[in-house]
Amino acid sequence: MSTETENPPTDAKPEVKTPPPKPAPKKPEAAPVEMPAFEKSISDKIVEKFGDKIEVGFVKEDRVRINVGRENVHEVAEFIRDGLNYDHVESVSGVDYPQDNEIEVVYHIGSYTESSLARQVLVLATRAQRETNPIPGNDATKLPTLRDVFYSVEFHEREVFEMFGVFFEGHPDNRRLLLPEDWADLPPLRKDFAIKGR
Amino acid sequence: MSVIAPNFKLSEFIKSLLDNVFWIILILVLIGLPAVFMILFVIELPVIDGELLTPFLALTWMADPSRILPVVQAFMATDIFRVMAFPGFGFAALLAAATIFVERKMLAKLQLRVGPFYCGKFEGILQLMGDGLKLISKEIIIPAKADKPIFWAAPVLFVATAAAFVAFIPVAPGWVVADVEMGLLGVFAVIGFFPIITILSAWSANSKFPFIGGIRALFQMVSFEIPLILSLLGAVMLTGSLNLSEIAASQSSFPWIVFLPIGAIVFFITMLAELERIPFDLPEAESEIVAGWLTELSGMMYGLVQLGTYLKLYAFAGLFVVIFLGGWNGPMVVPPFPEELLTKGIEMGPIVAGPFPGLPLFDQEMLNGALWFVLKTVAVIFFILLPRGVFPRIRVDMLLNLGWTKLIGLAFVNIFIALGLLYAGVLGPGGLQ
Amino acid sequence: MTFTLPPGLALQKVDERIMTLNVGPQHPGSGHMRIIVQIDGDYIVACDPDPGYVHRGEEKMAEYRNYITNIPHLERPVIHDSCNVLYPYVLGAEELLGIEVPERAKYVRVIASELNRCIYIMYWLAIYGIFLGHSTMFMWPAGDRELLIDLMEKMTGARVTHAHFVPGGVRNDLPPNFEDVCLRQVNYFEKRIKEYAAVFYDNPILISRTQDTGVLSREDAIRYGTTGSVLRASGVDYDLRVKEPYDVYDELDVHTNVMKEGDSYARSRIPWLDMIESCNIIRQALQKMPKSGSVRVKLKPNPKTKGLESVYKRVESGRGSLGCYIVSDAKTEPYRVKLSVPSFRNLIALPNLLRGEKLGNMPSVYWSLNYWPVEADR
Repeated sequence: MSTETENPPTDAKPEVKTPPPKPAPKKPEAAPVEMPAFEKSISDKIVEKFGDKIEVGFVKEDRVRINVGRENVHEVAEFIRDGLNYDHVESVSGVDYPQDNEIEVVYHIGSYTESSLARQVLVLATRAQRETNPIPGNDATKLPTLRDVFYSVEFHEREVFEMFGVFFEGHPDNRRLLLPEDWADLPPLRKDFAIKGR
Repeated sequence: MSVIAPNFKLSEFIKSLLDNVFWIILILVLIGLPAVFMILFVIELPVIDGELLTPFLALTWMADPSRILPVVQAFMATDIFRVMAFPGFGFAALLAAATIFVERKMLAKLQLRVGPFYCGKFEGILQLMGDGLKLISKEIIIPAKADKPIFWAAPVLFVATAAAFVAFIPVAPGWVVADVEMGLLGVFAVIGFFPIITILSAWSANSKFPFIGGIRALFQMVSFEIPLILSLLGAVMLTGSLNLSEIAASQSSFPWIVFLPIGAIVFFITMLAELERIPFDLPEAESEIVAGWLTELSGMMYGLVQLGTYLKLYAFAGLFVVIFLGGWNGPMVVPPFPEELLTKGIEMGPIVAGPFPGLPLFDQEMLNGALWFVLKTVAVIFFILLPRGVFPRIRVDMLLNLGWTKLIGLAFVNIFIALGLLYAGVLGPGGLQ
Repeated sequence: MTFTLPPGLALQKVDERIMTLNVGPQHPGSGHMRIIVQIDGDYIVACDPDPGYVHRGEEKMAEYRNYITNIPHLERPVIHDSCNVLYPYVLGAEELLGIEVPERAKYVRVIASELNRCIYIMYWLAIYGIFLGHSTMFMWPAGDRELLIDLMEKMTGARVTHAHFVPGGVRNDLPPNFEDVCLRQVNYFEKRIKEYAAVFYDNPILISRTQDTGVLSREDAIRYGTTGSVLRASGVDYDLRVKEPYDVYDELDVHTNVMKEGDSYARSRIPWLDMIESCNIIRQALQKMPKSGSVRVKLKPNPKTKGLESVYKRVESGRGSLGCYIVSDAKTEPYRVKLSVPSFRNLIALPNLLRGEKLGNMPSVYWSLNYWPVEADR
């Protein structure tokens, strides 16, 4: 499943697109984006291991973004934990893109044990298919859970499930967390759920 | 504190005045007159000047107020007065009320606050009355599946037991409600009744939080009864009697705390546990089990339980004073009653207001004893109230550990010290006393 | 069972020996949250936290308001610590809008953030005291924090929920003579909180109640993704003000307090040490602050972001590292705002810590996780 680059870096043209590099009008530097070296090394390691299956979203200071498809996200997460020494997930957020018919789930992964990675946050993004009439848990909006890789996603994935309807396969406890037990409406953080009066 | 004055209407003002007059007359007639007649008819009337005092004679006090004095003195010798007023319920309730007020104020000052402030002109002194009126006016809610007879009876039983405990404490020589030969055993029996009432009240409420609270109260009270009893036995050994008045009288030279400090400390700790005061207020642990066994009590039932608790506080403090601090003994600070008043009367110029029979109402010994007793009890109560501002709450397993192992050990050490003192001849017959 | 449960619900069997207790929202020992505790006698067998009683949909509401009008409602998750809750959002919005903040504004932000941290920790400590039954420990912090709330009121005009940080700096400059008043009150505050050691931290009953209860080992603390004082009490030296300094923290000298035991006592002591550290930071910031300068970059009324991008900023708040993930799509309203709050992250440790604990230890373990129920629900 192809993932689109959603977040081009803030400077001149991104490297992944293939049009000929035009000299950027404002900056005097050359077309290749000046990416911070340490972060570049992280993204290089991942690209080297997985090649085509992933796509580098951006490489900014202290933040590296990787976009992965649904099938490979578990493998990539395992490599991030074992090969790169990241050890916990700070936040899991869902972003709803009704125009692409997809829901993106973004994991922010950090490291406490490795001192060189103390400032770094790896942003791992996957996409799940979106349905117009969701039946949470029983439709095609599913993603593999990362709970066995990173235990700290437990409550976060429950929240993403109830707020977006993304079912995490393999998560042992997909119950409601923040919403009341008798919530029968659309998952609230989707774009087609409108707050009354707005 | 803002008071919005309603518009003044003369008719309503007169109506309110008439309402007050009506109620006063009603209460006087329905309650006051029968009370007066009951006192005059039920109480054994004394013989004054060779004549039996009849109610009609007694009512002549309106002509000559000094004639009421022998009646009052006779009344003070009766049992009813002792039970209701002086060493009994009235005195204890007054001290309990003062304790509650002092506790709130003292705790507030410890915690950088002010405490009761608005109720009453002087630093919120009428706060208790306000709280009592509030509790009376609240609705008493009984849980639907509660066991109603026991649930209603439990607070009343609690107050009754606390009052029974108060009855044993001697305040001044000869002034005790129940002068029982084995007074201390009676005290132990009454104290043993409290856990039963607590568990009955908790069980009958049929709810989870009172259940847990009641069981904790049972654990706490039962496990601290043994050190309580053992720690008092040392003083009994040194006195040779179980009668509380005799124990108090035997400390005329020095209080027992000088020789049995360990026993006093053990008794103090177990006293805190029996009273459910901080640090031992597990049965009412707010943050874990809402209010423990008091959860389902509301309105006046809660008020009764609080009254019982503070009566118990006074009684335990009184017991500590009687056994360890010398009871009513103390240097004589009350001046003797002036002799001339008894023989000659008051001289006011040419008129001599004749000698009043019936004076003195309180003799010097009793006043002195009562004064020292109150002073010592107040000091002990102060030390009981103080840990509330300093300590957090102890946990159940630590509590049981304390009660069943450490305190019993210390109490035994205390008994051995008492035995040692006796056999060494320091105290007892042939010793210092 | 012939019917299938909708996802989000689970069946539970009622056992005869194990009692299910609702330490529920109407409970003096729970805060605005329910903890379903299953106890066997005095021991907790299982624990199921049930947050969500104060869920207001902050993140959904943020999608309907523009970057400036998002400020008053996004600070509501923790009303005492409101500056720290807004901080990552404001830093993110500034990066998206491409604004550079003046130096004096950064110092004012640091001072406000540290004051808020102390205010929050005092309130948390007060409630910790009352959970343990220590009413003096409730009254003293609640009273002493008025000194700092007074300072915040002078600075921002409001006692709590200041709404002081805006993308571009702070709303208003400090009032005249603020530096002297602040220094005096912070010095007195520090003297007062050092007295807490005598009544609370060296209290033998407190020590016997909280030591060796709810022990969170270092590996577990990292694996559960805990943060803030919980993490530092388990021996991990991680403080965002040192590791990823934002605003002017790289010019200030911040010392991280770490304890190794990982029990409730350590978790209750670390915030107190952090407060003393905050007083030092405030004094340094007051000294180094530029004496004059603007504190705000004025923006146009409805600022629009430049392109499709996302930003993730994080800040060390009173409870731990608070992160804000903003996705923007070149409109005046953000496309998605996600607050990653430390209370929610620390909640993962709660069921694991309470399993096997005594019921009497529940309040001390639960609240020692530096948990703020309103924040976890957002």
